[in-house]
Amino acid sequence: MASFTASSVSFSAVSCSFKQNKVSSLGKGSLSFSGNGSPSRRLPALRFRVSCAAKPETVNKVVDIVRKQLALPADRDVSGESKFATLGADSLDTVEIVMGLEEEFGISVEEESAQSITTVQDAADLIEKLLEKK
Amino acid sequence: MASTMKYVRVPPNSASLAEARQRVFEFFKTACRSIPSIMEIYTLDDVTSPSQLRSVISSEIRKNAHITNPKVIDMLLFKGTEELCNIVEHSKQRHHILGQYVLNREDRTHDIGNKDQGASDFLKSFYKSNY
Repeated sequence: MASFTASSVSFSAVSCSFKQNKVSSLGKGSLSFSGNGSPSRRLPALRFRVSCAAKPETVNKVVDIVRKQLALPADRDVSGESKFATLGADSLDTVEIVMGLEEEFGISVEEESAQSITTVQDAADLIEKLLEKK
Repeated sequence: MASTMKYVRVPPNSASLAEARQRVFEFFKTACRSIPSIMEIYTLDDVTSPSQLRSVISSEIRKNAHITNPKVIDMLLFKGTEELCNIVEHSKQRHHILGQYVLNREDRTHDIGNKDQGASDFLKSFYKSNY
């Protein structure tokens, strides 16, 4: 929050406004901007905080990739809570799924975070976190 | 170009099977992360896709999944890393890549057909490997 108050943001700067929009849509704190010396305002609509669940479309994309990787038939139920091991993935499959997700979402997963992924939901949450950081 | 890839050296001794496993995963990740540049170097865009190359790499790794001796795993990783370096630094050519990794991935013994009914096991495993 403090970093935004320090910089003066005007909506005419396109690149700045994109960043602001992206962050504000995820609800990270309040957005304050000052145009020519006017006092900073808080936009109340942007102050909500998203709880740490991942977005459903992210989870769906992850499920798709898992399905394709493990060649699961369509009737096999893959939800956020399914663990990779129960779906028949061995450790190399898990790494491969993580690499597939890296490619799909354009992120880069570090070693320690990759170790902690056991369920589909974990993967989706990690992706969300990395997308926010970008 | 080769130096930008990585300083992957496989130090000679994996202390345990677990460490060797970790090295295998590291190798796999390095290989997968170099797939985009490989596709660009050899212009593979119209014959294959990154996910197919990923599954080819993982099937090659899986071929040796039954090995339990860490030293043997180290040796295999060394060979794999050497191959990957050769590919990334454009020491190979497109037809090498196509023949080895893209085309004809199904089991070659499928098309034996009728004429080899009496073939011995030696012949049947001939296509698989040298040994």
